[in-house]
Amino acid sequence: MSKDVIGSVMVVGGGIAGIQSALDLANAGFLVYMVEKSPAIGGVMSALDKTFPTNDCSMCILSPKLVEVGRHKNIKLLTLSEIESVAGEAGHFTVTVREQPRYIDMEKCIACGKCAEKCPRKVENSYNQGLNKRKAAYVLYPQAVPLKYAIDKDNCIYFEKDGKCRACEKFCPADAVDFKQQEKIHTLEVGSIIMSPGFKCFDPGIYERYGYGILPNVITSMEFERVLSASGPYEGHLVRPSDKKEPKKIAWLQCVGSRDIREDAHGYCSGVCCMYAIKEAIIAKEHAAQDLDTAIFFMDMRTHGKGFEQTYNRAKKESGVRFVRARVHTVEAVHGSDDLKVMYSTEAGELLTEIFDIVVLSVGLEISDEVKSLAGKLGVAVDADGFAAAGSFAPVVTSRPGVFVCGAFAGPKDIPQSVMEASAASSASAALLASSRNTLTREKSYPSELPVGGEEPRVGVFVCHCGTNIGGIVDVPSVKTYAESLPNVVFAADNLFTCSQDTQENIRKAIQENRLNRVVVAACTPRTHEPLFQETIREAGLNPYLFEFANIRDQNSWVHQHNPEAATRKAKDLIRMAVAKASLLEPIDSLQIEVNSNALVIGGGLAGMSAALNLADQGFKTYLVEREGRLGGHALHLGKTWKGEDVGAFLSDFSKRVESHQNIEVLRGAEVSNIDGFVGNFTTTVQAGSETREIQHGAVILATGGRPLETNEYLCGQSERVTKWHELEYLIENEPEKIAKAKSIVFIQCVGSREPERPYCSKICCTASIMTAIRLKEKKPDMRVYILYRDIRTFGQREELYRKAREMGVIFIRYTLEEKPKVEKHGDGLLITVKDHVLGRPLQIPADYLNLATAILPTEGQKQIAQMLKVPLNDEGFYLEAHIKLRPVDFSTDGVFVCGLAHYPKPVEESIAQAQAAATRAAGLLGRKTIDIEPIVSVVNEEKCIGCGLCEMSCAFGAIRLKKIIGKGFRAENYSALCKGCGVCAAGCPQRAIDMKHFREEQILAAIQAGGAAA
Amino acid sequence: MGEAAIKIENDRKSIFFDKVKELLPKANLSLCLTCGACASGCPATGLENMDPRKFLRMAVLGLDDEITEHPWVWMCSMCFRCTYACPMEINIAGLIYEARKLWPREKRPKGILGSCDMALKNMSCSAMGTPEEDFRFVVQDVLAEVRENQPGWENLEAPIDKKGAHFFLSQNSREPVTEPEEMVPLWKILHLVGADWTYSCTGWGGENYCMFLADDEDWKRITEMSIKSAMNLDCKVYLNTECGHSTYSVWMGQQRHKIETEIEIAPMVKYYAKWIREGKLKVSSDWNKDLKVKFTVQDPCNQIRKSFGDALADDLRFITTACVGEENFTDTYPNKSNNYCCGGGGGYLQSGYKDARLQYGLLKHNQIMATDASYVITPCHNCHAQIEELGQHHGKGKYRAVHLWTIIALSLGILAENERAYLGPDLIDVNLPKTE
Repeated sequence: MSKDVIGSVMVVGGGIAGIQSALDLANAGFLVYMVEKSPAIGGVMSALDKTFPTNDCSMCILSPKLVEVGRHKNIKLLTLSEIESVAGEAGHFTVTVREQPRYIDMEKCIACGKCAEKCPRKVENSYNQGLNKRKAAYVLYPQAVPLKYAIDKDNCIYFEKDGKCRACEKFCPADAVDFKQQEKIHTLEVGSIIMSPGFKCFDPGIYERYGYGILPNVITSMEFERVLSASGPYEGHLVRPSDKKEPKKIAWLQCVGSRDIREDAHGYCSGVCCMYAIKEAIIAKEHAAQDLDTAIFFMDMRTHGKGFEQTYNRAKKESGVRFVRARVHTVEAVHGSDDLKVMYSTEAGELLTEIFDIVVLSVGLEISDEVKSLAGKLGVAVDADGFAAAGSFAPVVTSRPGVFVCGAFAGPKDIPQSVMEASAASSASAALLASSRNTLTREKSYPSELPVGGEEPRVGVFVCHCGTNIGGIVDVPSVKTYAESLPNVVFAADNLFTCSQDTQENIRKAIQENRLNRVVVAACTPRTHEPLFQETIREAGLNPYLFEFANIRDQNSWVHQHNPEAATRKAKDLIRMAVAKASLLEPIDSLQIEVNSNALVIGGGLAGMSAALNLADQGFKTYLVEREGRLGGHALHLGKTWKGEDVGAFLSDFSKRVESHQNIEVLRGAEVSNIDGFVGNFTTTVQAGSETREIQHGAVILATGGRPLETNEYLCGQSERVTKWHELEYLIENEPEKIAKAKSIVFIQCVGSREPERPYCSKICCTASIMTAIRLKEKKPDMRVYILYRDIRTFGQREELYRKAREMGVIFIRYTLEEKPKVEKHGDGLLITVKDHVLGRPLQIPADYLNLATAILPTEGQKQIAQMLKVPLNDEGFYLEAHIKLRPVDFSTDGVFVCGLAHYPKPVEESIAQAQAAATRAAGLLGRKTIDIEPIVSVVNEEKCIGCGLCEMSCAFGAIRLKKIIGKGFRAENYSALCKGCGVCAAGCPQRAIDMKHFREEQILAAIQAGGAAA
Repeated sequence: MGEAAIKIENDRKSIFFDKVKELLPKANLSLCLTCGACASGCPATGLENMDPRKFLRMAVLGLDDEITEHPWVWMCSMCFRCTYACPMEINIAGLIYEARKLWPREKRPKGILGSCDMALKNMSCSAMGTPEEDFRFVVQDVLAEVRENQPGWENLEAPIDKKGAHFFLSQNSREPVTEPEEMVPLWKILHLVGADWTYSCTGWGGENYCMFLADDEDWKRITEMSIKSAMNLDCKVYLNTECGHSTYSVWMGQQRHKIETEIEIAPMVKYYAKWIREGKLKVSSDWNKDLKVKFTVQDPCNQIRKSFGDALADDLRFITTACVGEENFTDTYPNKSNNYCCGGGGGYLQSGYKDARLQYGLLKHNQIMATDASYVITPCHNCHAQIEELGQHHGKGKYRAVHLWTIIALSLGILAENERAYLGPDLIDVNLPKTE
């Protein structure tokens, strides 16, 4: 570890994992260099159409994060860049980065798209997986960050023909094309490095059996994402590549390149393909104009994540997706057409043939040779599959100190897990560099606000041409002239690009020279640009809420491009409404609340301990409340992790570190009886025996764990031969003579899971049973070991365990929910009858022991804690996070975080990563003395309020509550720190006693009235 | 659960499975994922209500009694198409080979057994039992007739036991025994390219039914005899006639039975292609320019998928298009290493399971029908016989099977009238040699 610790971090790879890490760290006082090899960040997620299991639009949830990265003061983006070499050690690395020329001056480019429009060279569009063409001057995708064009040197005529063409240069209105740009070498000093280079899709071309590259309608799942995408090659119309015909039948083939031990393929499970195939099938059905038949050909359906099994069930029952359990041998051409023939054997052994219009190959994830070589340059060890080698107890730590890893490079995984790991990598970096926090970052300062209260409104209007986006349709000069005529408007201007750097300067000047006290910008959309203009007027001394946006591009010129006159009229209407509202806008003071820097972690299992330790290491006083007399939770029963690490040894060391940490106070045998307050200011009552403690804290992490289902199915509790979960391991450990005598041991999976009553997968049971089975086989190779399962879900690299168990002779028999195994007592032992899934005949298996993998449930009392904090639970009683994809440890309620089994059943390394992620999120809050909260909140007029309580009932956030006022009865009271500004209370109040700041009734009414008035 | 339950007994060993595991250490049968890729691509799926996945499963569960003497083992042609797609690379053909051994030797199909025993009768290694001297007589007799009756071939040779010849040529017994004139096109081709070749009186038989019989000892004996014969003559290349299983039996037999030799074991097709590329065989497709007779090819499993791979399949197409014209060739789908087995391999033609064999061949038949070809070029005797029969049985004579040498000789203008037994009326007098 270097003594000269640098307060900056390099994030390598700008996909969703890298983005999350960068934002976490930049917000926590570190300067971030984000190195991305393509011209824009966003990674694979940006190219996905929708995300499972919620089918959110991928770009819509990603885009705000892209914008935040692009705008962040403490994130420096290096695109078209790759690492050359790394010297130094943890705390202080010197990194050499090679940046390829873009041939476009990023300072000058206004992203008008003229260069691409005029470029005569068409090339394969790799972003659309080669399904259509783009130009040699291009932007990766419409929402790219940075939104700057680039020239693809390999395909540009200028470079091919020695200075010819130059069409882009001639037509660029901003003079941004620069063919003289050269490669740049940057030498950067950073304290740590986070590797998030992501994965590449398996290339199915190596199997001619599937016809990929031979038959045009055999496409990969990634190509299919682009086919579905509105920004894709067919603009979201579901057609097939060969003849653009709308398909009637589509097949998905699972495990292409995965779970396949041949050369060039991968033995591991890619972990995400089952879910994305289900998603694609559902979305395809929604997109299709006609009845669409969708069939997914699979081996084991691996829907092991939160909400996945339910999606699987819905796909079957509601969407009518067909699931065919068969691995297809060959996709055949149908002579004389572009159709595809798929022959497969049913489970009963009958050969069937179906004709499909499209066959989608569900390709797996793999690590590219470039990433492996990058790992080599960084001195980071990779495993046999090419993934960064990381241990279960330190899931983001690589072999090189100071270099951390997250996302698919650390093993195949989905978006939420990548996001969790990203935050965990941030926390590891932050802990390492804690001493140099805030040394390289800068905070912005603003001039003091001009007092505008009481002044007559003086509105300035800025109308944007947006290149030709608006100006090509709307008569902008006439709109500007019209704006000048509106009441209260004292200044108006039109700009080619209102968002450009120089226009910001012009806006500031106009404010000063014309003493403007309200500003209206009529331009693209507030979604991406409102914060920019608010910033600008703030720099000119105006309160940022004295700003109003008129959306005349997205909601006008883009949708009415064939009717320019009407579009011009509508632009005037929108501006008139905006000016009317702006005239009534009031400055809103920022809302600040003080933050108590203590943390409370509820639950002293692995997740809770990890979170507590991480927070304590970062310097925060942490209270750890554990119900039992001993720390460790369920990990106390675990022997080894699936990677073979000794949990017990780790745990005893880990508990000691937790218990002896000066910043941690452990409360054992303690229960939380009440939680009060809000973000930054919680008061929690803890009952420990007869003692009652009140703890003040700023954040709370819920790590309340889970428990196995108790059951009486399969003679559980009625025969000592029937055990569950780790009870069998206990026998192996403590009563080895019993095991030595046993000739046959059977496991039954999914006991109480994946059933109507509990329709989720408990995720870890397949791996756990297989590990025990392997152990038995190792101890006694001639023992008969049977695992009765419904789908084997050894996701990711756990697949190797499944392979190993089969190799050792463990016999796997699949049963169905409709035909469960039968267990009877038989002499001293048991007799188990189950139908063999291949032969279709019942097997009678005598067994000495039967071990049951029963469902994992949330802990008892979880519901009460959820109620105290007003945080939601899902149907199964697990905590429901703010967003299943991108906010996997947060709640909508600020200051509350979740990790471990309380969130969903998960293995050790995921619990730890999630705990570290929760700690990062909490530390981001606790590290500040005060926090700004969104001041657009509800305000109660106590005079009008009659205390009916309707608002309290309707508020989902507990942000408005009744209080007793002596002599007046009840009155509503705001808890602004909890308020999300949704306006439900205001809308429902029968007395109209509630106003929303910035959306006050008279402001909205003024806009509506102005809208109704004729131009 | 209507069917009788399978009772697992913990003390009973699954002897067969353990034995096979030992014999096939690399192809771990336990790894089966029961995914069904094998069954999905197997033409024998459904015969006897059996398929590769079920058969392996029965072995895994130790149902030795049911596996023993199961007829399906003779309905699987051991074509390897299952293994070609198996994500665990399980050698199912190897399992079937071992399961064939579960039949007492004398109870194994008479045709296969007889052909194996015939080959052991004398040093010829001919599955038809042809003695060495009969072979020498037929060859010399046919040669004399050609020299006499076919102008321009007065110097044609068919050397036997020529010491130091570069190529040792094997000969399928079918020709000398039943259609001797079919030997001639190949002799002519070898003559034109100036190949230094020889037959041997011993070990000339290009068959090995002992391999199909799962009789390792005799497979070895025959292969050893053939290779030794070639070595005794100091030949450099063991050139296999157009016969898939014999190519494989020598190529694999040499490895499996560890027969030491420096000799290159090569399929005929490879050398045809080489000679055409070198300009030694000036084939032309002009004869078919106006006729537009359509051809397709069969990829013999034993020569392509199981041994020499796509490179040889490409050679086969190169030769075919050179002889019949690019525009008159339609490939099957799937093809090359992934082509369907026709059902002639594995001893099927001799096994007596005719109905199963024709049922098995339906996939091949449909595949050929889709190409609309009139001729299927089959550089393999078993493929030839099976596809010829499929064309008659399922196709009502829609297509015929033809040796590659026939088409090469045709396109060289050297195919005599009496060498056209497998050509239809449309080609019976096309491009006949000039008679002066």
